Amino acid sequence: MDALKLFQEYMGTGLIVLWFLVSLLYLWLTEKRKYIRVMFLYVPLVLLLVFFNPLVAKIVSQMADGEIYYRILWLLPVTPVIAFGTVQLCGKLAGRKRYVGITLAIVLFTISGSLIYRNPNFQKAENAYHVPQSVVDICDTIEVPGREVMAAFPGELLQYVRQYSNVICMPYGRDIMVSKWTVQNDLYDVMEQEVIDAQELAELAREEACAYVILSEDKKLVGKMQNQEFEEFGRMHGYVIYKDSTVDLYYFMKE
Amino acid sequence: MIAVRLLWLAVLLVAIPAWVGNCFLNVDKPCRNPVFLWISGQMLLWAGFQVICVPVILLEGRMWMVTVAYCGFILVLLAAATVRYFRQSRTLRAVREAKPEKAEIILWVLSGVLLLVQLVLAVLMVYGDGDDAYYVAISAAAEESGRMYQKIPYTGMHTELDVRHGLAPFPIWIAWLAQMTGITTVIVAKTLVPVALISMTYGVFYLLGSRVLFAGEGAYRKKWALPAFLLCTEVLVLFGDYSYYTVENFMIARSRQGKAALGSILIPMIFFLLLTLLRKIQEEQKITVGFWVLLGSVMTACCLASTMGALLACMLVGTAGLCGAVSYRKWKLILPLIGCCIPCIVYAGMYLLLG
Repeated sequence: MDALKLFQEYMGTGLIVLWFLVSLLYLWLTEKRKYIRVMFLYVPLVLLLVFFNPLVAKIVSQMADGEIYYRILWLLPVTPVIAFGTVQLCGKLAGRKRYVGITLAIVLFTISGSLIYRNPNFQKAENAYHVPQSVVDICDTIEVPGREVMAAFPGELLQYVRQYSNVICMPYGRDIMVSKWTVQNDLYDVMEQEVIDAQELAELAREEACAYVILSEDKKLVGKMQNQEFEEFGRMHGYVIYKDSTVDLYYFMKE
Repeated sequence: MIAVRLLWLAVLLVAIPAWVGNCFLNVDKPCRNPVFLWISGQMLLWAGFQVICVPVILLEGRMWMVTVAYCGFILVLLAAATVRYFRQSRTLRAVREAKPEKAEIILWVLSGVLLLVQLVLAVLMVYGDGDDAYYVAISAAAEESGRMYQKIPYTGMHTELDVRHGLAPFPIWIAWLAQMTGITTVIVAKTLVPVALISMTYGVFYLLGSRVLFAGEGAYRKKWALPAFLLCTEVLVLFGDYSYYTVENFMIARSRQGKAALGSILIPMIFFLLLTLLRKIQEEQKITVGFWVLLGSVMTACCLASTMGALLACMLVGTAGLCGAVSYRKWKLILPLIGCCIPCIVYAGMYLLLG
């Protein structure tokens, strides 16, 4: 684990961290109150030394996942120090100049940083659950009252299914999409192919005890799922839901 | 019905913590600031949840046991806070000396609007984060099946107890909120809890500004400074997506995850308390037992939020304690600070032994 590399990744463009260092310098020169000097100057500097200490890095990565070592940087009071430094600096200005100074500082922050809502992962919520409506509707369709149901979902829906419905079980989950975790599943591999052999899919789905298979309408099937005794159970939001017609999901109600 | 449930959630997230905060009335004397009471009360409640929940998880108990014990704990705290409230001598509260200036009002309005925008967007927008597949599913599983950390959240398969994550059961606290209110777990986790946690983050910044940075007499007490400080923090948070790792990114995008609460609420709260401590030392004020209980509670809450919370909290308090002791030549300061670190040391030890 390279602390310097982690620090560079944490900094992004580096401008906000630059303003942090400038604020530290300004407070070093101007701040008289000892308790603020201790917490806003000495502590961050010591913590930076700790972060770059290879011995600490080694111990922390042995105790926990080395990838979360960057969280030590959360101990740096970046936002409060920059905001405090800005207000102190603007406090030296009189009258309107003070508010012009604050405005300029805010403009500088907006240029230096990146608006969080412009992050491509941010999207308008489709519903109050904050999961795609397709997941909500598919889960509602395949749920069986009073029991769990095993279903194979395509990769793009995996992370949402069990957030919404805890009675839907899956033979593989979101962890399979994280390459470093090296989780492997034959059914998932088949589900992700552009052209899918219906017979192979049906056999693997039965091996995994899946009562349902959800496939994108864009996937090309070689052969028909109906020939493998999987009936088309529903079609919504660009997905086809196939149900294993050999499985009686309501058997426990008949006993 | 939905309105009643939302109201009940507000009671659990705001009213009860604010009243429990009366236990720390003498820490913030004579202000009795509602923001301080709310946040400090929530710290004590989180600490209690951690102390109650972890043993139940390790003994493979059920969710209802946590619910019963935690509700009992809340009732005891509410009673203690009520007694504390009525026993507290009535001191006069500070009053404003003069009307606020126009510029000050504008700064307050701007920071209020910016906060409101963030809260509305927390409800209307969603950040697709893969880690939710773990944390939210853990909450949903606990609420639905009563089993805690005994199912693989990604698939729903039964498994051995996940001790490593079970030592930081923030998702179980969310499950508890869902169970108490009857609102679907995923809505509580991803839509409603972020509103409370983002507000709490700015509450800590407010305390930092009003109680420490711009407190006292003379040049430091500038009326425009506090709203200007809050406005700057809000802009810095909003434009804090300069990398994937920043605490600001976690705060807005992944507020429902314990690690976000650790970085954006708990660590700043420790900063606030340590600044208050050093200020009291400088001004030779008495440091009450309540203060140490509050600091210990925040540190225990760090363990609830994330398994790394124990390490980070101890690192911060240890560094600040040493720097403070050297700067003020107050070596006695270190002993109670070590005392506050004990919960973190215990949970870190459990992590190393069992995790």
